[in-house]
Amino acid sequence: MLGNYPILTIMVFLPLAGCLLLLPAWRHPAAARPIALGVALLELALTGWLYSSWRGLAVAQTGLPGFFLLEDLPWIEAFGIRYTLGLDGISLLMVMLTAFSFCVALAVSWRAVGKRVGLFLALLLAMESGIMGVFLALDLALFYLFWEVMLIPMFFLIGVWGHGRRIYSTIKFFLFTMAGSLLMLLAIIALHLIYAQQTGIATFALHELLKTRLPAGTQLWLFAAFFLAFAIKFPLFPLHTWLPDAHTDAPTAGSVILAGLLLKTGSYGLIRFGYPLFPEAAQQLTPLFYTLALIGIGYASLVAFAQEDMKRLIAYSSIGHMGYVAIGIAAWQPVALTGSIIQMANHGVTTGALFAMVGMLDERAHTREIASFGGLWGKVPLWSFFFLFFSLASVGLPGLNNFVGEFLVLAGTMKKAPLVAGLAFLGIVLTLIYMVRLVQEVCFQEDRQPLSLVDLDLRELSLLAAVALLVVWMGVHPGPLLDLIHAPVQLLSGGVP
Amino acid sequence: MTSGDMMALMPLMILAGGSVLVLLAGAIRPGYYLYEAAIAFVAGALFWTVAVPAEATLPGLAMTPFARFFAVFLDLAGIVALLLSAAYNRRRGIVGEEFPATLLFALAAMGAACAATDLLMLFLALESFTFAFYILVAIERNSARGGEAGLKYLLNGTLSAAILAMGIALLYADRGTLRLAELVPQPGGPALEPLFLVGVCLILLGLAFKLSLVPAHLWTADVYQGAPAPVTALLSTASKGASLAALLLLLPLLAGWQGSHAILWWLALLTMVSGNLAALVQGSIKRMLAWSSVAQMGYAALALVVAPYGGARAAAFYVVVYAAAGLATFGAVAVLSDEVERDGIEEYRGRGYANPLAGAALAVGLFSLAGIPPAAGFMGKFAVFAAALRGGETTLAVAGILTALVSVFFYLKVVVALYMRPAEGEVTNARPLLISEIIALAVPMAATLFLGVYPAPLLDLLMRVLP
Repeated sequence: MLGNYPILTIMVFLPLAGCLLLLPAWRHPAAARPIALGVALLELALTGWLYSSWRGLAVAQTGLPGFFLLEDLPWIEAFGIRYTLGLDGISLLMVMLTAFSFCVALAVSWRAVGKRVGLFLALLLAMESGIMGVFLALDLALFYLFWEVMLIPMFFLIGVWGHGRRIYSTIKFFLFTMAGSLLMLLAIIALHLIYAQQTGIATFALHELLKTRLPAGTQLWLFAAFFLAFAIKFPLFPLHTWLPDAHTDAPTAGSVILAGLLLKTGSYGLIRFGYPLFPEAAQQLTPLFYTLALIGIGYASLVAFAQEDMKRLIAYSSIGHMGYVAIGIAAWQPVALTGSIIQMANHGVTTGALFAMVGMLDERAHTREIASFGGLWGKVPLWSFFFLFFSLASVGLPGLNNFVGEFLVLAGTMKKAPLVAGLAFLGIVLTLIYMVRLVQEVCFQEDRQPLSLVDLDLRELSLLAAVALLVVWMGVHPGPLLDLIHAPVQLLSGGVP
Repeated sequence: MTSGDMMALMPLMILAGGSVLVLLAGAIRPGYYLYEAAIAFVAGALFWTVAVPAEATLPGLAMTPFARFFAVFLDLAGIVALLLSAAYNRRRGIVGEEFPATLLFALAAMGAACAATDLLMLFLALESFTFAFYILVAIERNSARGGEAGLKYLLNGTLSAAILAMGIALLYADRGTLRLAELVPQPGGPALEPLFLVGVCLILLGLAFKLSLVPAHLWTADVYQGAPAPVTALLSTASKGASLAALLLLLPLLAGWQGSHAILWWLALLTMVSGNLAALVQGSIKRMLAWSSVAQMGYAALALVVAPYGGARAAAFYVVVYAAAGLATFGAVAVLSDEVERDGIEEYRGRGYANPLAGAALAVGLFSLAGIPPAAGFMGKFAVFAAALRGGETTLAVAGILTALVSVFFYLKVVVALYMRPAEGEVTNARPLLISEIIALAVPMAATLFLGVYPAPLLDLLMRVLP
């Protein structure tokens, strides 16, 4: 039934088509916002429908183990590039996260963005298309294309609607990402040529290139290029410096997308392409990967502790949280990898929510400085409750979502590298310190400035309640999601599904 | 000459004849629908080239699929340039029939350069269109900058013409023929004479001037800045395409000589590096685009280094893609300039909103030049780097990628000014665009986006044109 429709193509291009719907409402924000949100909700419904039927789909054979859906068409034959989209459990989880995050992003920018609303919404939808493509592409050239395309809308989002040093931040963001990805482009082409030399087949298809026989030296170089591109997105220490600037100066919707999705494209790329394509080189670089991830966790936590700007603090906390994802990938062991993938979704949801909440506070108080607030528990109880809730989720309180991911990562890593797992565990304590300090200063300390604030309105309340329910559900009952990614994780880490 | 030959040569004759007719018509009714007539002539030539697949081999000229491919490319660029200049010249007070007539003449000469089969015809065609550009660059009589640009172009150009002629003379002295097919060294033949090699080097140097490859590039920034924007648009796209086609015709002469590889290698490297680095520090948009076009030709030269490995096709594809972006960017500069040229990058602040179509054309063109998808420049760079790696030129490919990264910065600077910096002072209302300007901006922009998403038809065509 599903196979008859190009569902994946629809998923990728539906948001872009939504931009056309926006055209008649270009100068009427009141009409444009519901249209854009409607498109995003439709996309979310589509992913929800896929999720509800994945067990049925998994029975059907697509020719690629682990993939429920596959769409493959010739595209640029002169280059050997095909239009190949595929959906497996990991992609589906990421796609759901994408659709969800964009709904959050559209909802939080409902009032916050007042100028050039049509363009803003169109860029958001265009970016959704790009990110969907990244998570679904199975042809390396197509993947690279989406990987680059998603940067342009973000460049404009930060540069046009951002705050502070927005232009500096957006150019830094763009150049950092380009620096990594251009070398990856060369590596992709080189891999393609080596495979063509060995087999006579000119292709960029992932399942073909996986069969390339690479000498150790070449493999190390190619993996290094892929690793650099993904490590910048991740971001791994010391390539993280673009992140605090970009996250802080971006509009709230931009921060939600950056933290929720763009960082995940890095870890996803490593899981889908980097490790499977260059397994030996990846093994060789594992100690480096561990080290950088651990330094990142410790360093980001210390720096986060010293931040005065709430948004910047949460931005640094992202680096720390992504460090756990990195450790789980570096261990490349079924349990740890499962943890990493679940943690990607978890971090996207909680950090997105935290950025959204800081954005709501910023809209009211026009400042994000921690020192300006205090005693918010008494003034805006609803906001404070949710802020405390998401902060607790962020530090990994059992029963909430982050706990599941961090626990699995540490449990899996413990088997392969006990020392790393032990050090990473200490990092969780550091996370606790700076998040507790944040909540304590903002919500519970004595009132430091006479701010008159209004509590959450119905739109914000329903948005946060929906996210909070998701956080609880992912924390209490992660079974269905674990089932979803079980088969692909087993396939990736070399086990039997 | 048979009637079949006539059929094949008709596009060139339409352009050359049209040039004379426009000149005469101007004498009778000055300023009366001259641009429209010129556009009609180019469109006629274009239609003929596409619709009549006649091929002919004449002394000195051969209408091959290769020549017809480039003729279509040149005519399209010519139409865009004419559409742009019609309105631009009226605003700037450039009147008279000599502008459209000279432009038609340049198009005819460029078409001939792509069809040449002997060195004399190649020289005549190259120098004829360069000669036409001497006039077009300096056509704005009241502009000191235009005059300076014209003089600089003329002095540099005559020097390069002399070098080119000397090279051709040396080849003739060595081999006693000017026909390209007879000059190609035979595999296993006798070793090449020093005279022949010096001649080939001089010809390469002469063409390096036309393509503004380092070290023969120094005229570019001054000339591009001083010339009227539509002329720059044509000079930086069509003349580059025609010169590249001429170089592609000459490439077989270099076969079997290792030294030519080293020369092209260094030309490509130096051009990519210095073009991109110099563009970084420009405050004038036309100078920035001029240095960027130097750099872009470096990527085309990189493809020529690996010509036997599909690089020739990649170079041709690259120059088409680059031309679409060049027409969009210089076209936007032309449209956004009123009585005075809008030259400083800072003067473009906020224009993206005041003049959406021109702003979008400029931004899309810049993204394409920077090689960022979905603009076609990405596919161009993809083709070039794939060819470079296939030919084993890893060092050049990495250098190219790194310089491309540098280039992203200065292209983005303009996009930042267009959309992210508020306009200074009072915001002047943008004048409504003429229909000719809308077409001239929309067509290259649409082509850039289309080729970026679906380049397959053009690539397939190039497979047949450059087997």
